[in-house]
Amino acid sequence: MQANKNRLNSKTHRAFLRRCIPLYIFLLPAFIIVILFQYLPMFSNYMAFLDYDFNNGWFGMASPFIGLKNFEFVFEASFWKMAGRTVLYSFTLMLFSFPLSLVLALLINEVRHETFKKVLQTLTYIPHFVSWVTVAGLFYLFLSTDRSGLVNNILELFGLKRYPYMQDANYFLPFLVISKTWKEIGWGTIIYLASLAAIDPQMYEAATVDGAGRWKQCIYITLPCLLPTTSVLLIFELGKMFTSNFDQIFNMQNTLIRSKTDTLNVHTYYRGVVYQQYAYAAAVGLFQGVISLILVLTTNYVTKKLSDTGVF
Amino acid sequence: MEKTAKLQTGRTMKTKGKNAIRRTGGERVFDVLNSIFLVLLCIVMVYPFWYVLVLSFNTGSDAASGPLWLWPRVWTLKNYEYVFGYEALQVAFRTTLLRVVTGPFLTVGVCMMAAFALSKRNLPGRRWIAFLLILPTFFGGSIISTYIVYAKLGLMNNFLVYIIPGCFQFFNMIIMRTYIEGIPIDIEESAMLDGAGYFRIFFQFTLPLCLPIIACFGFFSVCNHWLDLQSNLLYVTDRSLQTLQYVLYQVINSSEAAFFIDAGASADTVAASLDAAAANTTPTPEVVKMTVMVVVTFPILLVYPFFQKYFIKGMLVGAVKA
Repeated sequence: MQANKNRLNSKTHRAFLRRCIPLYIFLLPAFIIVILFQYLPMFSNYMAFLDYDFNNGWFGMASPFIGLKNFEFVFEASFWKMAGRTVLYSFTLMLFSFPLSLVLALLINEVRHETFKKVLQTLTYIPHFVSWVTVAGLFYLFLSTDRSGLVNNILELFGLKRYPYMQDANYFLPFLVISKTWKEIGWGTIIYLASLAAIDPQMYEAATVDGAGRWKQCIYITLPCLLPTTSVLLIFELGKMFTSNFDQIFNMQNTLIRSKTDTLNVHTYYRGVVYQQYAYAAAVGLFQGVISLILVLTTNYVTKKLSDTGVF
Repeated sequence: MEKTAKLQTGRTMKTKGKNAIRRTGGERVFDVLNSIFLVLLCIVMVYPFWYVLVLSFNTGSDAASGPLWLWPRVWTLKNYEYVFGYEALQVAFRTTLLRVVTGPFLTVGVCMMAAFALSKRNLPGRRWIAFLLILPTFFGGSIISTYIVYAKLGLMNNFLVYIIPGCFQFFNMIIMRTYIEGIPIDIEESAMLDGAGYFRIFFQFTLPLCLPIIACFGFFSVCNHWLDLQSNLLYVTDRSLQTLQYVLYQVINSSEAAFFIDAGASADTVAASLDAAAANTTPTPEVVKMTVMVVVTFPILLVYPFFQKYFIKGMLVGAVKA
């Protein structure tokens, strides 16, 4: 296109470029921010291959190169246990949050009373606007063994013993699922409700004429129509599988169960930021990043093959 | 036919649907059960907040004596008096407020400008620019490499770390771009014929027309800034720069009441707590935690319903794009 313009009239082309200058100026802030705060950290992943010393040279990058020595953690069983836990947590959370939001969206969609529908949506979105600090605080409050621990109060009414659930690592994953569901189920419906509204009503009419009931319509029309949306969401979620849920897990943990519930992200935070083992934490981080990238590319490829929808 | 009626959100189709509806017995049962379930769900969503409110208005000693359900047994405002006198919270409130006021302007400004530029299809190099901007969202820095870079850039214990690094969000920018592309091009063309450059077009035409999406992302940004814990946790140790969420985090994770006095509570607070002790209304750590939670959590919940229509609109534009 540029060449074409040149051939036509180099003068108008120059005028056109001059007109575009403001556009480049508009892009400048975004560019500076991306370079400083996203590309620099991306390149400084290189520190994972160094015997990193914060004060050695520009950004500490003059530290001696030690190859893959920082990556020795891949031979440790404890690392793989933690990696497995990370995947288990993310996967379980995904397994619940996707279908549950979808079901709720379908149920809300069945409501005919407009005001009721609005109120429903407003109320179910509320927990999304609360931080994980608060959610964790609520869990500790409701599950505490004190008199204010509502769950234990109720259990006591039924003659059961008060039990410190939050201090038992076996309950951690269920609580992660419950808290995530409580917080995000309503919010997750927005995108589904939007796609539901976009489905062509004629399909349902045709199905009714053919004698399909509500249930069959749901299976054969609604769900397939929601597939593209779901797969795009899935790609993003899967990509984050190795790195997500920091806030949630960090806040829901406590010192009693930390060693049994650490995920890679929380682990790198403690090792890197709190104990300042930069090179080690950077190596784990880079490992996570590479796996995430592979995950994104694979899921994108697979969903593209299966359903013709992908992000790129 | 009833399915059609159900799916219609438009007003005209709804009236048509009402006439067409012939609900079978089974469907009526389903509707009732559905409504009951959804009402229960709403209770589950809202009751925790109500319970926290109840606790925050009850005296600590009474709350420890037996279970509370729906209403405070012994009313008091002492908890709030105590919490508002807590200096770290006041400082955090100021910092967070400053963040919430400045952050969204930056985010929306930076993203809108980039979105406007990228919405011009004939901009030379447009694809390359978009590619460079999207790349880090798929493979970026890890927690630690980011931490090191921020430290080297002098962002540690610096207020700017709250508002600058996160102010460009690629996906938000894309949604804004989609919105801008939806604006009829004639306006822009006629303005150009009148001799207006892109600067004027942006400020005089695009921005006013984009108000709904600006409101949407402005509000999202307010929420993000209000709820963010990580940037404080990672990059800020300075007491005078702590945010509300971090203070709440510390309060919730401290088990002793002494924490409040150690953590630099003002003389007023100590005096208030002594007064309270005399009147047997001393706030216990439990109710103080809840009161802080109310103070930190509720402001955003009170504002959010007013923005609901905007953010749903924004999500819809985003969903169509995705």
